[in-house]
Amino acid sequence: MRTRILLSVAGVLAAMAPVVGHHAFGGEFDPNKPVLLKGPVLKVEWVNPHAWIHIEVTEADGSKKEWMVEGGTPNTLLRRGITRESLKPGTVLVIDGYQARDHTLLRANGRNVTYPDGRKLFLGSSGTGAPTDGADPTEAAKPGQRGRGGL
Amino acid sequence: MRKRLLIAASIAAVASIAPLAGQTKSAIPRLADGHPDLQGTYDLATLTPVERASGSPLVLTDEDARKGEQMAAARKVAGDVQLKGDRPAPPKGGDGSPGPAGNVGGYNSFWIDAGSQFTIVDGRKRASLVIDPPDGRVPQMTPQARQRIARNVRPTSDQTAREEDPGFEGNGAYDDPERRPLGERCLMGFGSTSGPPILPNYFYNNLHQIVQTKDSVLILTEMVHDARVVRMNAEHLPKNVTKWLGDSVGRWEGDTLVVDTTNFSEKTRFRGSSASLHVVERFTRVDAKNLLYRFTIEDSETWTRPWTGEYTWPITSELLYEYACHEGNYAMGNILRGARLKETDDAKKK
Repeated sequence: MRTRILLSVAGVLAAMAPVVGHHAFGGEFDPNKPVLLKGPVLKVEWVNPHAWIHIEVTEADGSKKEWMVEGGTPNTLLRRGITRESLKPGTVLVIDGYQARDHTLLRANGRNVTYPDGRKLFLGSSGTGAPTDGADPTEAAKPGQRGRGGL
Repeated sequence: MRKRLLIAASIAAVASIAPLAGQTKSAIPRLADGHPDLQGTYDLATLTPVERASGSPLVLTDEDARKGEQMAAARKVAGDVQLKGDRPAPPKGGDGSPGPAGNVGGYNSFWIDAGSQFTIVDGRKRASLVIDPPDGRVPQMTPQARQRIARNVRPTSDQTAREEDPGFEGNGAYDDPERRPLGERCLMGFGSTSGPPILPNYFYNNLHQIVQTKDSVLILTEMVHDARVVRMNAEHLPKNVTKWLGDSVGRWEGDTLVVDTTNFSEKTRFRGSSASLHVVERFTRVDAKNLLYRFTIEDSETWTRPWTGEYTWPITSELLYEYACHEGNYAMGNILRGARLKETDDAKKK
């Protein structure tokens, strides 16, 4: 009985394990077109239902291409004190993911979005303007206040 | 001694007349008219799923709750772990990620704000929202409901292609924008976050706000900006007037706000429900910081019996933000465009 309960707890959590949003990633992106993108941020569209990070990628022939990388909802980041100022143009990112099924579109999902040393975006003391790593509950908004680095 | 007995007796008396355990007259905020003040912003994020495994109890042991919450915390830490800056691109053919991550891996955990705890009702952590049937499972669907749902689904034309591309939904799922989920189309919260019944989404944006007057109660769901107005002490609209969130009328039963909702649009398909869907919600402010939300689902054309769930909504000081969605919804166009190109490619292969 005990084992079954634990299994049920594990089952619940395992079912939640993939980090996904609420839309059809599998319909949008092509599993046969993996990409690794590296370059400076051009701009970020802080929009729902998904934020889009634009980065400039230098191709092998030296030409520069603008890619768009899909993220999640900005609302959760706002509540953690991350704002449109937190990811500044020029910040170099390394992103792995899969390109959109329409290959004429330079768009990909941000399966992993990191700084050049491999640290995940918005975590740790990045020195890039990310004000909070979200791990310390005292950094969250207190009654009558907004979170650190808020609006 | 005498005095202490009297106090104990009076506490017992109050507890016995209170609609839900743990509630006392003095512990909850009230409006000038004497009714409980339900107003505030609530964070519904929880680890407790709608259903639990067959044969397992509703209440989690302290040990199981702790282990489950530790597993959730460990998963978050694992999602935050530093990678290599010079890592390669992910594997061709997909990364094998299941479910909605669609074999392409979704996105980073830093976007996610899921629950960290199981819901607590009457001081105990719960394994499921469903409390009735007592096994914590949603009842069986009726044969007619299964037929109805099957009629709306086209057969998969090419199973081989599905096996080669497991992230791609079959059954003509991308044939028409109106076949896509309401959340994906920025019309209403996904799953049943806007309700009724209002369920957690287990990912993010679980904030809901209640605004209350004598004549109406507003329930605002952050994602996707769904506002439901409950008309107090009113009659339901004529049957032919249907709404996406249904027609909600409310009344007070003691200190509990009871909201009765019918007249759902056919566009609203709560777990395959029919136009006969009838939802009764009970909102009870159990103390200054928590509201107990209970819902009962009746739809004899869909389920073999009514079913009931409940969970606690804790008050939060976090801000509820606007969720403007349509203009930036590039994903929807990408999904439909990708499906048209895949159809063209598949036709060429034949």
